[in-house]
Amino acid sequence: MTEKIITVLFLLGSIIYLYLTQDLTFGTLNSPKSGFLPVLAALLAIIVTLVLIFKQRQPKKITDQPHVDWTKFIFIIIGLVFYITLFNIIGYFVATFIFLFYFLKIADTTGWLLPALLAATSATIFVLIFKYYLTIPLP
Amino acid sequence: MEILNLLLQGFSISILPSNLAACTIGVLIGTLVGILPGIDTISTIALLLPFSYGMDSTAALIMFSGIYYGSKYGGSTTSILLNVPGEAAAVVTCLDGYPMAQKGRGGAALTVAALGSFVAGTIGVIGLTLFAPPLAQAALAFGPPEYFSLALVGLIILTKLAGTSMLKSTLMATIGVMLGTIGLDSMSGISRFTFGIDELNRGFDLSILAMGIFGIGEILTVLTESKDQSTIPSLRFRDLYPSREECRRSILPIFRGGMVGFLVGLLPGPAATISSFVSYALEKRCSKNPDQFGHGAIEGVAGPESANNSAISATMIPLLTLGLPFCGGTAILLSGFMIHGITPGPTLITQQPDLFWGLIASMYIGNILLLIINLPLISIFVQLLKTPLHILMPLVAVLTLTGAYSINNSVLDLFWIVFFGVIGFFLRQTNFEPAPLLIGIIVGPELERGLIQGLIISNGSIWGLFTRPLSGTILTLGVIFILYNITRSFRKFAHLGKEMNS
Repeated sequence: MTEKIITVLFLLGSIIYLYLTQDLTFGTLNSPKSGFLPVLAALLAIIVTLVLIFKQRQPKKITDQPHVDWTKFIFIIIGLVFYITLFNIIGYFVATFIFLFYFLKIADTTGWLLPALLAATSATIFVLIFKYYLTIPLP
Repeated sequence: MEILNLLLQGFSISILPSNLAACTIGVLIGTLVGILPGIDTISTIALLLPFSYGMDSTAALIMFSGIYYGSKYGGSTTSILLNVPGEAAAVVTCLDGYPMAQKGRGGAALTVAALGSFVAGTIGVIGLTLFAPPLAQAALAFGPPEYFSLALVGLIILTKLAGTSMLKSTLMATIGVMLGTIGLDSMSGISRFTFGIDELNRGFDLSILAMGIFGIGEILTVLTESKDQSTIPSLRFRDLYPSREECRRSILPIFRGGMVGFLVGLLPGPAATISSFVSYALEKRCSKNPDQFGHGAIEGVAGPESANNSAISATMIPLLTLGLPFCGGTAILLSGFMIHGITPGPTLITQQPDLFWGLIASMYIGNILLLIINLPLISIFVQLLKTPLHILMPLVAVLTLTGAYSINNSVLDLFWIVFFGVIGFFLRQTNFEPAPLLIGIIVGPELERGLIQGLIISNGSIWGLFTRPLSGTILTLGVIFILYNITRSFRKFAHLGKEMNS
């Protein structure tokens, strides 16, 4: 199902891209312009996605797919977005500590002390390396 | 003779302390990347790109190349000891390496893999030393039609060889070409698909894209898929000695693997992976006891492990001489070149001889360093496998995001990384190989320039592209390749139909 959704999204993206090429000049074979390759590429992408959608309609052998923990996936994304948002507000060290602690807990690290210690040590090391050694202007 | 002098000059550059240190760091990181499943070469190089800004360009490129070829050495360790390939190119090593480990010959398999990698890696670098300069000289005569033909046929072959589905790889490469058109058109100066966002005029930042798709995408995949971490066997130094019989049986496969790997490496696509499979098939055919394959035949380790290392050196030839990367690893290496303001291509040897020959000489040194790292120190690296991925991955995520932030000091870049990471995750889930996407973005502008200028030169005649000797030959090869694959697909379809009817 995910595969079909992704392919349809590619088809939609290619159609939108083709629509946007209207703003560009296609030119002629003698004098191709900035829209020449984009139009050809978009047409090829649309054809390939249509063939893929057609092929996906045919019954397929069921293969063993690894089980994906979607709850964990969503929590990781939320964590990443919060980290990036907090980055500039509360500063690199605190944001990294909170993010690492949260991430380690999501990634099934047992206990509270070990993740807290790991997060604090790693955040300190990262600050020392990036801010002081590599002199990257971190917030 | 001239090549030898230039190579010696290269050695004088590569043994400078900063370059030697960069080479050592590169091969060490490469070995780690190869050993640790879940961390791949492309994402590691992408992650380190921003940190190389302060480095001398030669040292930085020596380090990135070290990571690139070093990862192929380390890939065999987990294949042999745990039946888990650390790299795609080491998948085939599992077939005989793991049964050897089960029989208590894992140490010998590791030694043969390391020695084979060293010998074949050196064969590959010798090939690179000998073939790159004449090819670069010949490439000076290449015009836009030749570059267009090379880029197009390279992409066509790549779509067949990369991933599990040619259609999916074609779509990925095409979308890559489409994404490559975003930004200022280099010929007309017109902004394309930028929606008025000034930052997009420069096009997509490749390191951000690679960090997202390969870095964060990989982290999401590793942490959300439930896999048990295997028990790590302990390894003593004395276990590493192969028997005399094992040494005798490994010599020819190592040399054959070196040759096969080099030839396959010249083709577009994931050369290291393909060469290891080709070498395995070849060794099975050459063996007097093919039935031993799959049950711990040393030839099944020696050949493929040699082939993938030789292939890696060969993949550098199109990158250094033509400026065209045809696999994910060289595509990200090209980003490394560009970040340091260096354009690889036919003029690299003449304009930057110190960098070119220093880089090649460092690969000879790197191979020796890798042999040292992978033999006496292998037991230490095996211990690293005990690092739980649920601890390692959050740290890699912070490293990736911090590295990305340091490129432009932009928080927006970090959101892009997460966005591309989610895309990379779903691409992996649905078996869309992401490497052709990256290559499409890089090769796309070259393809467009070649096509447009080629058509102008030939007065709008597509046939004109075929009438030039070199571009005609390359395009004809591409057409034969397509026709062959279409015929094969029809035959397969007809065969399936017959089977269903009967």
